[in-house]
Amino acid sequence: MEPFVRSTFGIFIRHLHRYLGNEVECEDVLEDVYADIWENPFHLRAIDSEGQLLRTVYLYYMRKRLREVYRRMNRSSYLSSNDMQNLIAPELGLADLISQTELKQILHRLLGKLKARERKAMELWMAGMSNRAIANQLETTVGAVKMLEFRTVLKLRRMLKEYCEED
Amino acid sequence: MSNTHREIQELLADYAGALRDGCLPTFLKSLTREEAKRISESPDFWEATEVVRLMNSAGFGDNVVTPDVGLFISRVDAAIASRSKKAKASTREHSRSQVNLHP
Repeated sequence: MEPFVRSTFGIFIRHLHRYLGNEVECEDVLEDVYADIWENPFHLRAIDSEGQLLRTVYLYYMRKRLREVYRRMNRSSYLSSNDMQNLIAPELGLADLISQTELKQILHRLLGKLKARERKAMELWMAGMSNRAIANQLETTVGAVKMLEFRTVLKLRRMLKEYCEED
Repeated sequence: MSNTHREIQELLADYAGALRDGCLPTFLKSLTREEAKRISESPDFWEATEVVRLMNSAGFGDNVVTPDVGLFISRVDAAIASRSKKAKASTREHSRSQVNLHP
């Protein structure tokens, strides 16, 4: 198991980070994922690429564990269990299996196609700035920044969809 | 997240912030019944979360890799050992119950 963990840990933990954004939770989930793989490695037979490995591991092992992370919160949250599941352990999306390096390149390319103000807002957000700090930089209100981000994210989604279809 | 009547763009911004800061439970707990309904009925919100996750990954995913994979491997080994111990114990229980059934 050790060589498998060593060779896949980086790929899997980065993928989990997309859904949880929290290192401690990612490691807890991944620990169970590896134990599940050890217990039932059947799905991982005949894997011949990193993309296929990630897809298989996500669909058969990670998703099940991701759904359990906040299951106890179902009682205290108004979000339906179905919505909670879609938020924490969604279906694989447009570019979910693209490697980290390729994803950065695609996003860089797509950000380059945005208007200057939209690009600036996204770049500042990705640099870790708060909406208030972004609003100060763009000399506008926090509410306007949130609306700008929302519209820009939707625009990026459309561009990403076009990119994936062309590819 | 003190505003209890957040519009969909504000909810997305708060989700994105919570994901970036690693505190999704705070966001989930902050939702009111109306906001949860608003999220549920907004296809735009769900489409936007997909991009937010990708951006979060591209922006902050590299910071997450634990330097000591060896320590993590020992945790996995312990989990596996615990599971195989439980499996053995349940097999033993099973054979014991069979013995009791057919003395």
